[in-house]
Amino acid sequence: MRRSSTRKTGSALPVNPSSGSSDTYRSASSKAVSKEVERIDNLFYAYADASSGLIDPEGIESFCSDLEVDYTDVRILMLAWKMKAEKQGYFTLEEWRRGLKALHADTISKLKKSLSELEKEVARPTNFSDFYSYSFRYCLTEDKQKCIDIESACELLDLVLGFQFRPQVDKLVEYLKHQRDYKVINMDQWTSFLRFCNEINFPSLDNYDAELAWPLILDNFVEWIREKQS
Amino acid sequence: MSQHKRPFSCSRSGGGGGGTTTTNSNSSGASGGSALLSPDSSSSMKKAKPLPAATCSLEKEKNGLHHHSHHFDTAAVAAARPGKEEDVMLVDQEELKPGASVPVAMTGVAANLSRKKATPPQPSAKKQLVIKFVKGKPSVPANFEEDTWATLKSAINAIFLKRRDPCDSEKLYQAVDDLCLHKMGGNLYQRVQRECEIHISRALSSLVGQSPDLVVFLSLVEKCWQDFCDQMLTIRGIALVLDRTYVKQTPNVRSLWDMGLQLFRKHLALSSEVEHKVVTGLLRLIEKERQGEAIDRTYLVYCSDLIDQGFTMLMEANRVDDLQRMYTLFQRNRPAELIAKFVDEKLRAGNKGTSEEELESMLDKVLVLFRFIQGKDVFEAFYKKDLAKRLLLGKSASIDAEKSMITKLKTECGSQFTNKLEGMFKDIELSKEINDSFKQSSQARTKLPTGIEMSVHVLTTGYWPTYPPMDVRLPHELNVYQDIFKEFYLSKYHGRRLMWQNSLGHCVLKAEFPRGKKELSVSLFQAVVLMLFNDTQRLSLQDIKDSTGIDDRELRRTLQSLACGKVRVLQKIPKGREIEDEDSFVFNEEFTAPLYRIKVNAIQMKETVEENTSTTERVFQDRQYQVDAAIVRIMKTRKVLSHTLLITELFQQLKFPIKPVDLKKRIESLIDREYLDRDKNNPQIYNYLA
Repeated sequence: MRRSSTRKTGSALPVNPSSGSSDTYRSASSKAVSKEVERIDNLFYAYADASSGLIDPEGIESFCSDLEVDYTDVRILMLAWKMKAEKQGYFTLEEWRRGLKALHADTISKLKKSLSELEKEVARPTNFSDFYSYSFRYCLTEDKQKCIDIESACELLDLVLGFQFRPQVDKLVEYLKHQRDYKVINMDQWTSFLRFCNEINFPSLDNYDAELAWPLILDNFVEWIREKQS
Repeated sequence: MSQHKRPFSCSRSGGGGGGTTTTNSNSSGASGGSALLSPDSSSSMKKAKPLPAATCSLEKEKNGLHHHSHHFDTAAVAAARPGKEEDVMLVDQEELKPGASVPVAMTGVAANLSRKKATPPQPSAKKQLVIKFVKGKPSVPANFEEDTWATLKSAINAIFLKRRDPCDSEKLYQAVDDLCLHKMGGNLYQRVQRECEIHISRALSSLVGQSPDLVVFLSLVEKCWQDFCDQMLTIRGIALVLDRTYVKQTPNVRSLWDMGLQLFRKHLALSSEVEHKVVTGLLRLIEKERQGEAIDRTYLVYCSDLIDQGFTMLMEANRVDDLQRMYTLFQRNRPAELIAKFVDEKLRAGNKGTSEEELESMLDKVLVLFRFIQGKDVFEAFYKKDLAKRLLLGKSASIDAEKSMITKLKTECGSQFTNKLEGMFKDIELSKEINDSFKQSSQARTKLPTGIEMSVHVLTTGYWPTYPPMDVRLPHELNVYQDIFKEFYLSKYHGRRLMWQNSLGHCVLKAEFPRGKKELSVSLFQAVVLMLFNDTQRLSLQDIKDSTGIDDRELRRTLQSLACGKVRVLQKIPKGREIEDEDSFVFNEEFTAPLYRIKVNAIQMKETVEENTSTTERVFQDRQYQVDAAIVRIMKTRKVLSHTLLITELFQQLKFPIKPVDLKKRIESLIDREYLDRDKNNPQIYNYLA
């Protein structure tokens, strides 16, 4: 973990010494802001790969270890969402700045504290559906990829919906692994899973109507459950 | 493949009186031919009074699904009908006595007249008749509904029990009319349904424990089915008004015929024993047939309707997993396929002993069954394929019979359905002319060696089935002949491209066997293979493959027909029925046969299982495109549409049977391809994406 050795604490080294010339014209608050930006940037460079200028998977791993959060933890995904990170496993400077600024965190410890607040924010219904869609897109790693394989979809479901909708998720995952009709999940189906959890009574399923516009995969899922029940 | 409402002649088949056709009559704007339903001796209803002429017509069920409905529009009705749509009553002055119950139904008014409008009374010319204006809702006597129902119930029972009923058909028709007028249609429907269910279930449960012999059992089931059809049709006839008013006006209510079918289907599946026997019996028949055993095809054809209805439920219940795909194919197309095959047999040459009239009447019967087919496009595909073979191999028994069949289909389904078929005939006729002028042509006279008779069928792509391209290395002479013809043809018709369909070619070869000269009627592929033996005595499978370039599977089939069948022009070494990789072939020196001219190309007429599967698959693939096109078309027009409305619209537009599940699949595919999306605010709604 070579990057750990360059870990920054509290004070940061000045990055742009030459900017000091117009110091007198800057207000105190803007000074503070620029200090914040500096610290955020420095934090970035602590984890970024020198040649690519991005934080890559290795960097993220060490970042997570510093944060004391597992890199498979859903909170990291939430962080990525907050950053509007485009590519899974990578953070650009812009994304990093965006996320940390929004969280008002310019140090590891502040970032760590902000996580619980972030969770609450994501949990709000309007944010959550956006986060939910984001998490799917985040998994489309290849160019022009539109679907994710069943295995990954199951993992993702567990990660993002497991907390709120444990019984539905468990059942759905069981079904997805069992069925043979679909080998991949697309965005439309993904979206419908959340809608299903939100709208359909579980486990009774009494308000599910297959004649409505539910995607076929859910029709089959419901049928499968009903068959097992009878 | 549009189905038009057109006048046609129809006759009923099956139990209870073969109908004879009478004149066409157009009544009340609905077109339909008419047929006399001859009284079923077992039905009491018809005994009571001779049935007036009834119109039979095909109409699309309100969802656009094909179904078998006949509407029963009595001639008596037609005659007495007033010329305009008026809410008037013709009442004889005598009847206006106090206390007389006023008949609430319009006597002699055909069902589709609007009852809602009230029009002012018309002046009457005759003194005896007073036309009364009916204000408001006439009152009904207290037990009106119960009494009326009692009459109907007794009639329905009589129909199902094949007994006499005192009430005549007109009174019953009226009774239904009355109930509907007083908004009691809903109750009536429920009650009719219940009655029907009791009887249907009784009839089907009587099959339990009957005959262990599957063929006998199937005939019992068939009889049950025939009876059921007759009975439902009769009931439908009486309750016509119910179908035209309550059923039409109420969503999610099936027509009486469909309701009956649903009940039949349901109860057929209720007894696992019956279900099992029917399934096994039918499968066994089909299997026998596949193995080339002769089975009573007519029987299977009549049963095919049952197959279509019952199989879905039966197979789903049985969940025959690995066979499911195969049988789904059966259940979806066997009726259409079987009927097409049946017609093919009848129209092929070699049907000794069938007179012209017999053939005609058989074809008429087939047409009746044809109406029951839900996937007419499947029928068309098979019919076309078989017709092509008959025409090209000269196997039609009679061109007149062929044309008569086309005319019948045209009347039934409209010219769109038969355009291509007619095109095939045109091509055949045109080909005759072309061949005549080819014979006279300079090319033929100078370049074609004498003693070679060559005739070519020129087929317009689009009319004919698609034939998979089959490569073959023709012997030099045959190539030359083809080129000569091509030269001639292109000199006459510019800008055209000719593609030789070698799989359809056939020849007559003169063969000199030690035991006698023969003429062999062979397919082109057979000829090519045989001609190799002009130069060598013995060839291996590989040799033949290399020399001819014929596709492996086709080659094996060809060799099998030459060396392993009844007529063995070649000998296979080692002997056996199957073609193995290491086989060799020799000219059969010992060959002998009673006739001079021998047909060896029967294989061309035979269809392979692959052919059949691919025909059906092509139809289904085509349907998929049609569904996609329909969805896009509808969405493009509407821009925004709810799921339920889209489905309804699709059922109306699509002319073949399709399940909502399949429609959903196509919708989802189009969402995936970004033709539409689900509305962000209301997921029940689709938006067209330009």
